[in-house]
Amino acid sequence: MGLSVGLDTAVKALRAHQLAVDVASHNIANAQTPGFSRQRVLLRPIGLDGSDHFSRDNLLGRAGYGVDAKDVNRIRDTFLDFQARQGMSSRGQYQAFSAPLSNAEVVFNDPSDDGMSSLLGKFWSAWHDVVNEPESLPARTALIHASTTFTTRVKAAYDQISQQRLDLNQTVSSIGAQINSRATEIAGLNLQIKQVELNGDMANDLRDRRDLILDELSTLGNISYAEDDTGSMSVYLGTHELVFGTSARTVNTVDDLANPGMVKLQFAIDNDDVNVSNGQLKGILDARDVALPALLDKVNNFATGIMNSVNSLHQTGFGLNGSTGLAFFTGTDASNMALNSVIAGSPQSIATGAAANQPGDPSIALAIANLQQSTNMLAGLGANNLTVNEALSAGNVASGITLGTGLQPGMYHLVANGPNVELHYGSAAGPLIGTATLADINPPGGTISFMNGANTVASISMTVSGAYTAATQLADLTTAGNNTLQVEASASTYYGNIVSVLGADVNRAKGLEDSSGLLVDHLDTLRQSVSGVNIDEEVTNLNASQHAYNAAAKVITVIDEMLDTLINRTGVG
Amino acid sequence: MRLSDLSRSTSQIRYMSVATERADKVQQQLATNRRIQRASDDPAGAAMAMQYRKNITFEAQMRRNLENGTAFLNVTESAMDSATDLLQRARELTVQGATGTLGPNEKKNIVSELNQIIQQLGQVANTNFGGAYIFSGHQTQTPAYNVTGNPPVSATWQGDSGQRIRQISAQASVAVNVIGDDVFGTMFDDLIALRDNLNANAPTTTINSALADIDHALDRVLNARADVGARINRFEATTNRSLDADTNLQELRASVEDIDITDTIIQFTAAQNALEAALGAIGRTSNMTLLNFLR
Repeated sequence: MGLSVGLDTAVKALRAHQLAVDVASHNIANAQTPGFSRQRVLLRPIGLDGSDHFSRDNLLGRAGYGVDAKDVNRIRDTFLDFQARQGMSSRGQYQAFSAPLSNAEVVFNDPSDDGMSSLLGKFWSAWHDVVNEPESLPARTALIHASTTFTTRVKAAYDQISQQRLDLNQTVSSIGAQINSRATEIAGLNLQIKQVELNGDMANDLRDRRDLILDELSTLGNISYAEDDTGSMSVYLGTHELVFGTSARTVNTVDDLANPGMVKLQFAIDNDDVNVSNGQLKGILDARDVALPALLDKVNNFATGIMNSVNSLHQTGFGLNGSTGLAFFTGTDASNMALNSVIAGSPQSIATGAAANQPGDPSIALAIANLQQSTNMLAGLGANNLTVNEALSAGNVASGITLGTGLQPGMYHLVANGPNVELHYGSAAGPLIGTATLADINPPGGTISFMNGANTVASISMTVSGAYTAATQLADLTTAGNNTLQVEASASTYYGNIVSVLGADVNRAKGLEDSSGLLVDHLDTLRQSVSGVNIDEEVTNLNASQHAYNAAAKVITVIDEMLDTLINRTGVG
Repeated sequence: MRLSDLSRSTSQIRYMSVATERADKVQQQLATNRRIQRASDDPAGAAMAMQYRKNITFEAQMRRNLENGTAFLNVTESAMDSATDLLQRARELTVQGATGTLGPNEKKNIVSELNQIIQQLGQVANTNFGGAYIFSGHQTQTPAYNVTGNPPVSATWQGDSGQRIRQISAQASVAVNVIGDDVFGTMFDDLIALRDNLNANAPTTTINSALADIDHALDRVLNARADVGARINRFEATTNRSLDADTNLQELRASVEDIDITDTIIQFTAAQNALEAALGAIGRTSNMTLLNFLR
């Protein structure tokens, strides 16, 4: 016990402050590194405890034995990580969902001077020109061009949206590959972290890397994770284990037999489907399997409605060359809609007259041109409707059906829900539009109203011969054949509806994307506020360490002088 | 709140991009003069704009139909005018032929002029407009009358009573043609008989009785002409109504789809100022570091 202890203390201080300078330097070097957490040297005084081989009355013992600087900790808030990752999953989902919808919107390019609605308008106009001069070949040729341009555009819209689906399908495979590489990397990091920390060292930078990969993984799908006491992180994707200790479960991309032409992700270990409720994968699947197919259905309805209506009139007419019975359009839906090649090759075949050898008769052409104004273009879809004046049972007649003006065109389904009847759009499982609370109706009749909040969205007037009980009404309205209603529209209204509903969907998706983006930005700022490097702070720490280091060096000089005094000057005289 | 250098630079980038995006959006609106670039900019407005656009296109087509129909009616009207003139000349010749004091040469001249009038009326009845014989009903590729012989000996009606319809508004479709047989009827036969009677030196009373036939033919032509005139007036009125509707629809469309220039320029200036302010603030603060103040 003596002056050498003081030297030892000073050397510890030199080491500690040297380490602090190293850490500040590491922090400054990584000031702009994504995912990096600032590190701090944990300084701890070496006190009297654990130093029992020194006597307690020793003055040096009372002063302590200097500083211990073994641990370098990273500063990180795991709860903020958890929140940020949830936000990232949502942002991933909405970003992935809104992009393909937004692309689909560009396909229609409406409202504009050269969108599909303008081509539809030109198609009807070309028919009017033929009405004006049915014997004119130039007018007929112009109609052929207008028709070809229109069908090409409809088909292109269908193809582009289908291509969007295929592109998204590709992305599903690539997400599978990303999940695999991230899972493998996490498993590898688990092993490294375990090894480093078993030696009593801190695996700060490895942990930062692992946290960054968890961020990336949470963008792909909703994950949950937990760290065990060896430092290993187990990760769940959805509800299925993805990383367990140092082993990673991989996912395979397999053909989805239930969804022709499309793939799905499966865990290799047990062939369980990858099921996520969030993240890019969810957004992509929502767009690929729900939003875009619904849009394709609408485009098909639009195309089919026009084809059926025009064809059924055209087939009754006669061309300049006596041709009759010709379909104007060929094809079954938007994917293969085309002008009949017979007509494309011979403008004389366009049927304008109601009888043969009537070159100046425009009556059929006029009927076709006036389909533009027809409000039941979609009547040709073969729906099985509850119609006006339909006898339901025992002299009870649905004498009038009124549909709200805001209802979009298409099929509506009546579905029993307890004692009530619900009106659903599209299919029995489609969105709920309104609910009717049934009550007994007595002669001469009454009204069944479908309500959405305080608004009546649709109503059915009943004429009844006797007491028409709520139970009988329920049975009648939900019987197959009576359980669908069709809202019809002109082709342009139907198309306008496709575009504006898509617009509203895109608008909403972008809104969600923006708000989830803001949330992630906010949470990231919070995370950064805890873990991020502030250079001013580091420079301050650097200065402080430098001062401390200089002071410790001074201590050595002082002790050296003391030793010199003791050894060379004491007892010499 | 403690701010790290990374989050400071991230938020600076975000401020810049938000400010740039806003300025860009307004700039795009100014450049295109349109508030709605895509349906998602304003779904309800887009639906209205598309409806207005559809109606504008429809009205334009109706005016096209009206223009085409008016041209057809004008050609018909001028044919009726020619027919009126020719019939009035035939009536004068008939009055001359009935005086009974004509020399052989004078009679020959009358007969030759009558032959020309019959030929010319044949041409009028077979007026072709845009590749269609206008009086033939639906038989537009066939002349209304087949006038045979020179001098003419017969004129056979070859058309039918088919109507040539023009849609002139959402509610109305109107035939633009008049049927040759309705206008001319037995006119050709009557005139040929008159000429034959003059050739055969028929008695004055016989010639005089032909005057009634000619008057009858004139009546029919004048009636048809009045009818065509009425239709021309109706077409003109409908065109004016469609033009009014167009002005109205264009205003409605613009109010939904187009920008309010003044308002947008103010917005643009505001966005530009915001961008400048953001850039200025970033430029000043990003140089601020403790290092500037240390030796």
